[in-house]
Amino acid sequence: MEFLTILYFTYTFIAFYFLFIYILTYIQNKKHIYEIIKPNKIRSLSIVVPCYNEAESIGKNIEAFLASNYEGLKQLIIVDDCSTDNSYEIIKEYARKYSKVIALQTPKNTGRAAGAKNFGAKYVKTELIGFSDADSIPKKDAISKMVGFFNDEKVGAITSRVFVENPKNFLERIQSIEYKIMAFTRKLLGFLDSIYVTNGPLSIYRKKAYDEVGGFDMKNMTEDIEITWHFVSKGWKVKMSIPARVYSVVPKTVKSWFHQRIRWNVGGIQTVAKYKKKIAQCGMLGYFIIPFFVLSWFIGLTGLFFLTYRISKYLITKYLVTKYSIVAQVAVLELNDFSFSPSILFFFGILLFTLGFAYTFVALGHSKEKGWLIGHSLYDIFIYSFFYLLMYPPLLIISFYKYFRGYNTW
Amino acid sequence: MLKSNKHIFWEALIITIVIFLMGLFLGMMIEAGHSNEINNFYLASEANLIDGMALSQISGGSHISCETIKQKNIDFANKVYEEAKLLEKYESSQKLTENLKIIHKKYDLLRTLAWISNSNSLEQCQNYDLVIYLYEYNSENITKKAIQNVWSKILLDVKEENEDMILIPIASDQDITSLEVLMEKYGVSSFPALVINNQEVIYSLEGSDQIKSLLN
Repeated sequence: MEFLTILYFTYTFIAFYFLFIYILTYIQNKKHIYEIIKPNKIRSLSIVVPCYNEAESIGKNIEAFLASNYEGLKQLIIVDDCSTDNSYEIIKEYARKYSKVIALQTPKNTGRAAGAKNFGAKYVKTELIGFSDADSIPKKDAISKMVGFFNDEKVGAITSRVFVENPKNFLERIQSIEYKIMAFTRKLLGFLDSIYVTNGPLSIYRKKAYDEVGGFDMKNMTEDIEITWHFVSKGWKVKMSIPARVYSVVPKTVKSWFHQRIRWNVGGIQTVAKYKKKIAQCGMLGYFIIPFFVLSWFIGLTGLFFLTYRISKYLITKYLVTKYSIVAQVAVLELNDFSFSPSILFFFGILLFTLGFAYTFVALGHSKEKGWLIGHSLYDIFIYSFFYLLMYPPLLIISFYKYFRGYNTW
Repeated sequence: MLKSNKHIFWEALIITIVIFLMGLFLGMMIEAGHSNEINNFYLASEANLIDGMALSQISGGSHISCETIKQKNIDFANKVYEEAKLLEKYESSQKLTENLKIIHKKYDLLRTLAWISNSNSLEQCQNYDLVIYLYEYNSENITKKAIQNVWSKILLDVKEENEDMILIPIASDQDITSLEVLMEKYGVSSFPALVINNQEVIYSLEGSDQIKSLLN
């Protein structure tokens, strides 16, 4: 068997395996996807919000938390990371008006969200500690729908579901699809105790767990991924509450989107590099999360390789055949050129793609709290499935390059 | 609610293995079906060739006309040409087994025998044209493959315009000793190459007119 065929089979096998994990998890836990657990007691909670030049959005964020119906919310700590706009003045104004709001400012700009988060966490004395991004808007019942998971003493972190706030342009609409699929996938991974990230827009941690891992890693570009892995490595469970909705803004331009994705990828690489020795150790972290992350890279890069190889070989051959055909004055295309005999690799590819496409629809179908709502045009779903996802592997390659070049810019 | 779902990893693995094995089995069945189909064609063609060779052996002192020999050879060459196209199509989708590669080699041997047989007939009758197209089967060179693709088109065009022409494409790199001897006899040194009526060897083909000018 040829090397490329073996590589393709390996690629297909891994992709099928992951897909069947998702499908089985979905089938066996369908009834629990929207489950909300009633808290067995009111746990005190502080929310820490890092803020850097967020004058436009910080007010909405504070008001959204103040409107929360969770009675255990004691403090809303807003940490200004030495903004150059009037963010801090706005925060102080809210602090004057509402006793729950505490305005803090770091002694000097820390350069990343982890710095401001750790700074704010020092002031937290409650049983739970939550973190949110300054540009995110949680629904008033979001926290209430999350905290019940802490009834299980082994649960160290709960994450919410992020929706794109008012997606208008094309890129935002595509990211809206992406966020819904990511959230659905994360929920499924939660049933396997394999959630690998607690998102920035709204996640709540048990303070004991947070203290045990020593807070966020200042060196990591994606501190929310790193801290989640740290929790899992210490034996804490991480869960997701899909009915807990939080709205967040996403990059509006390709440039800002590119920058964000490079940061996410480099952060992911940094995290894998940090925890690589934990492979086959530390429960689900070593047995699933790390291999899952690394194999996802393999799938992405192998897929890109196949696509590039096939397309470039086809185009070069077509170009040469056309060129020589014109010189020789023979037909450029003949009926035989359209003759096609599908191989088993083709059938595997079709099956994989069909299952993947069906998964996309099921994930989008679970965008609503209850019931089904696709909520996107077929055109957008088509672009997402056929083009947007193809951007992942090249971004990964660039990210690897930047990682090895020591990229460390927030 | 927070029940363990770790069994899903094993279940997914088993389903993946089952799907994979079913896929591989199905793939092997399809490829075996293709091999059988081609093999049946081959056996029929082989019988036809032997019949043709026998005919050329006895034609020297018999009443068999050159027209009959010509027609027999043309029919045989056309049939093998069509089978070659089918073989090529199936080969492009063969990923698991090597059967078709072996059949391809058998066909090349058959076509080599057809070349030898036609050489004898051509010496006696000279009432048709024989074009042997020698190409590289195992080449990974994209430029060479593109050139061979265009040569095939040119030859097909010429063949369609000349009913009295026999076209025999043979892979030159199949390690067939008799073919190597023949190529040496006609001084074929590089590929692709055309041997026209066992007299002219062409290594550079610019169009159908070039071939037509060398035909009878």
